[in-house]
Amino acid sequence: MNKNTTRVLGVVAVSVLAIGTLAVSSAQGAVKSVTLVYQGPLTGTDAQTGQDELLGAKTAVQMYNDSNPAVKVNLITADDQGDGSVAGTVAPGVAANKSVVGVVGPAYSGASIASFPSYKATRLTMVSPSATRVTLTDPKSADNGFPFFHRVVGNDALQGPAVVRWSTAGIDSPKVYVIDDQTPYGTGLAQAATAYIKLKKINEVGSDSVVQKTSDYTATVAKIKASKANVVIYTGYYPDGGALAKSLNDSGWAGVFAGGDGVLNDAFIGVAGKAAAEGAKFTAPAVPFETAATDAQQAAFTKATGLKSAAGHVYVTETFNATNVFLSCIKLGKVTRAGIQNCVATGTFFALDGKTVLRFTRFGEVVGGAPVGGFQVVKGVIKYFGAV
Amino acid sequence: MINLRDFGAEKWEKWNRPKRTTFVVILLALVTLLPFAGDYSFSNFLNTPISSYQAVLVYPVGMFVLMALGLNIVVGKSGLLDLGYVAFFAIGAYTAAILGTKTHLNIWEILPIGMGLAMISGVLLGLPTLRLRGDYLAIVTLGFGEIVRIVAVNNRSTGGPNGIANVPNPPSILGVRFALDNMQGFFWIILVMILLVIWMVRRLSVRRPGRAWEAIRQDEDVAMLMGVPTLRYKIWAFSIGAAIGGAAGVIFASKSMYVAPDMFSFNVSVLILSCVVFGGMGNIWGVILGGTILAYLPERIRFISNARQLVFGLALVIIMNVRPDGLLPRKKREKIHKAGEATTNV
Amino acid sequence: MNFSVVVSQFWPLLINGLALGFIYVLISLGYTMVYGVLRLINFANSEIFMVGTFATVIVSRNFFGFNQNTDPLHGFKLIYTLGACLVASMLMSGVTAVLVEIVAYRRLRAKGTNRLASLISAIGVSIILQEGVRILTNSIPYSNPRLLKKVYVVHAGPIELRNDTILVIVFAAILFFLVDRFVSKTLLGKAIRAVSMSEETSKLMGINLNRVISATFLIGGMMTGAAAFLYETVYENTKYNVGFSIGLAAFTAAVLGGIGNLRGAFYGGLALGLLEEFAAAILGTQWKAVTVFLVLVLVLLFKPNGLFGEAVQQTRV
Repeated sequence: MNKNTTRVLGVVAVSVLAIGTLAVSSAQGAVKSVTLVYQGPLTGTDAQTGQDELLGAKTAVQMYNDSNPAVKVNLITADDQGDGSVAGTVAPGVAANKSVVGVVGPAYSGASIASFPSYKATRLTMVSPSATRVTLTDPKSADNGFPFFHRVVGNDALQGPAVVRWSTAGIDSPKVYVIDDQTPYGTGLAQAATAYIKLKKINEVGSDSVVQKTSDYTATVAKIKASKANVVIYTGYYPDGGALAKSLNDSGWAGVFAGGDGVLNDAFIGVAGKAAAEGAKFTAPAVPFETAATDAQQAAFTKATGLKSAAGHVYVTETFNATNVFLSCIKLGKVTRAGIQNCVATGTFFALDGKTVLRFTRFGEVVGGAPVGGFQVVKGVIKYFGAV
Repeated sequence: MINLRDFGAEKWEKWNRPKRTTFVVILLALVTLLPFAGDYSFSNFLNTPISSYQAVLVYPVGMFVLMALGLNIVVGKSGLLDLGYVAFFAIGAYTAAILGTKTHLNIWEILPIGMGLAMISGVLLGLPTLRLRGDYLAIVTLGFGEIVRIVAVNNRSTGGPNGIANVPNPPSILGVRFALDNMQGFFWIILVMILLVIWMVRRLSVRRPGRAWEAIRQDEDVAMLMGVPTLRYKIWAFSIGAAIGGAAGVIFASKSMYVAPDMFSFNVSVLILSCVVFGGMGNIWGVILGGTILAYLPERIRFISNARQLVFGLALVIIMNVRPDGLLPRKKREKIHKAGEATTNV
Repeated sequence: MNFSVVVSQFWPLLINGLALGFIYVLISLGYTMVYGVLRLINFANSEIFMVGTFATVIVSRNFFGFNQNTDPLHGFKLIYTLGACLVASMLMSGVTAVLVEIVAYRRLRAKGTNRLASLISAIGVSIILQEGVRILTNSIPYSNPRLLKKVYVVHAGPIELRNDTILVIVFAAILFFLVDRFVSKTLLGKAIRAVSMSEETSKLMGINLNRVISATFLIGGMMTGAAAFLYETVYENTKYNVGFSIGLAAFTAAVLGGIGNLRGAFYGGLALGLLEEFAAAILGTQWKAVTVFLVLVLVLLFKPNGLFGEAVQQTRV
């Protein structure tokens, strides 16, 4: 290649950098506004979780800014790729940005642990929509986020028993098979479920651990059939859970397929297919956005994201709730990190439905442990059956 | 095509000793002061949006340069395609995490242990597999990298998918503190390690091992016929590279205070290899440049958020097509130049 | 360790392993043909597969307007629809493969530089394709409507065969047979073999190198596309990152059989499918990948060129 090309490339590179500098400085210059950061995986292999959650955050901020508040809110994103090593470089940067008053996130437990030291040092409050590892709010654990970390979801220790109770309800002699997806979320939930199964002396006939993004579940299906299980609990996310449910159904297995909040999604029915999805049971600490949202919230969602429905996107409600915790505080005139921290720690907030109360314990867990609800696919639609 | 390397080399040749010394001292001083560049208006264009500039200098920039230099010994110097370099990084990091949380050893005491373990695993992997040629080696090393990660996921002592938290920071040396709010300490220690590696590679290159690697890279069969104990030197290259990866891992674990299997995916191996090839295989200055750019670029363009990785991919394709030998290629005489081979080895 | 499952579920494991293996066979053709001609790991092949799966989904959902509520098709309409999806996938993957060659490899090949530059360029293309599709699809999975009703059509004692499994095995076997015949009998096939033996000599013999290489990528891409179609018929889901793990498995299969060798890809693909299935059943799915790689290392120790590979020319970076 010749000099011209090199020169063109050089010009492009320089202008890209220049635009970047502008983008950075303009974000800092605004008056009468504060900044919230959404931190989660936005690119790379885990991008889906982050991109989905961002929809909830955008919707909440859209509704807030549309109500003509005294202090406007900027939402910026910090892409940690769900990876602790990236979070380790992102978090200090977010922490150093003076206009940032709160972090919606981090989305993943691993990234949370890697971010804690920076946020603790700069007294920045976090409200996570999806980091469910028990130790994050465990006073005895060395890697807790006290007093800056909060989460709006029930931890694995709450959801594990719930998913076992709900999936085995109405079955005389349940034979349970537990499958996790090898992610921190999946293994944590599976451990909590297995512990409860042992405690209640339920018959666990087998377990498997299938890495995420596996497409072929036939070996697992063969094992499930060999074990004569009539309940399968899958702790993972809906794309993989749907594929497993479909594979089970196609092989002629008839039993209850169950999962946690990672599997609870309208898109599960699409992935698994109607026949396989029918009768599947889920538990979750929050109702899916597409089911629970009012018309106004739905309209704000479409306006903020350009999408018709939240179906197929996970954790939208949870992120909406997490963002709203900050927005409620900002509405009360808290615009400093200290003010926000105090407000989040002591205030009372409402979830998407406007009724469910969210208050945090000293260590950042939702008081009362965010009631875990039971759901089931009935005639191709996910129905809510109340707390289980 | 502009040839920066020849331009630089020519200038260097013409200089006398004092001039060279001054240049090196000034360059080193500038690099040492890099962590503070974000604070001054004339240099704050270096600042990265969202992420912390000082942290970016440590990981990925410093780490990638260090690992790329290590991998360069394997890929660039001896011509062995290693697609699982992340394994050694992971072994170093997990050694630091386990020993750092379970024993009273501090990070400086763990460092040689981590390097040693990485080296041993390099030898154990190398003994059976380095007899394989070319791309067969690539897939086996790729598999090894994945195995290390999968074992870490499925093992209780490594914390499973949750990993290990609260890895201690290293104790201070010479009054330099190593802590999250004092990232320059980590940057400087990595800088020292990079300088040591450069020194070592330059020494080795002109001595027997360097000549043996060069011979192996150019034509292994001929090298063997000429009496070069190829397997032994290949294992040396492999284990030296592994030790450097292990050292990077130890520092990384104590810097981020947390390790988890997700951090050691195949992508890291690919990125490090990209740094080596992108910068210019076999040429340490090229590798350093490549590592710096490929680590820094994705952080610098965070403002385009969603399309960040897309732009990174584009940059790889464009630069490799424009400069196939990398930004700063090795010297011409070190290249393989045989009419027939130029095409069969495409 | 769980051997009882092998006793009670031997036939389903065997049949599913074979079906999976046949999908690997077609994908590994994409790797092995390119390797045979260019001595180059076509890293972008997993993304070529991904693009193919989306072609099937787009045709059945957007072109035919099917959705999750559509009843499975029958008779002529079924054949016609499946045929359209197959053609779309093969074309899409084939064309993408040719474009990848032109964008990522051709210039570098003309310059006669080291092979690693091409490898990195291919990785770059791979990132572009994957991230591009991710942005276009908002990172969400797309499911393919059920076109073929899945029923067990053969019941012979413990052996039960489902119609989609039969489709995969029969169809993949036919395609492989055709490619094998094509490469060994036709003029273009002979040209491909000539180039893989010696590029220089075949150039002297008047072979148009660029055309032969494009043809190789086209055929390899089309086979990968056919695999993508079969994959969509069986698993009915796709996502921007669907290619990574399956591509890695197919590449491993190609190496296991002896890369650069068509029949090697065949036996390697089948061996890998069976190995994965039984390892997952006996040792637990989490150890599947480890088992595969340990077997690979063992095979390479005793047969350094794979199970069926001829001695590959010394390749170096």
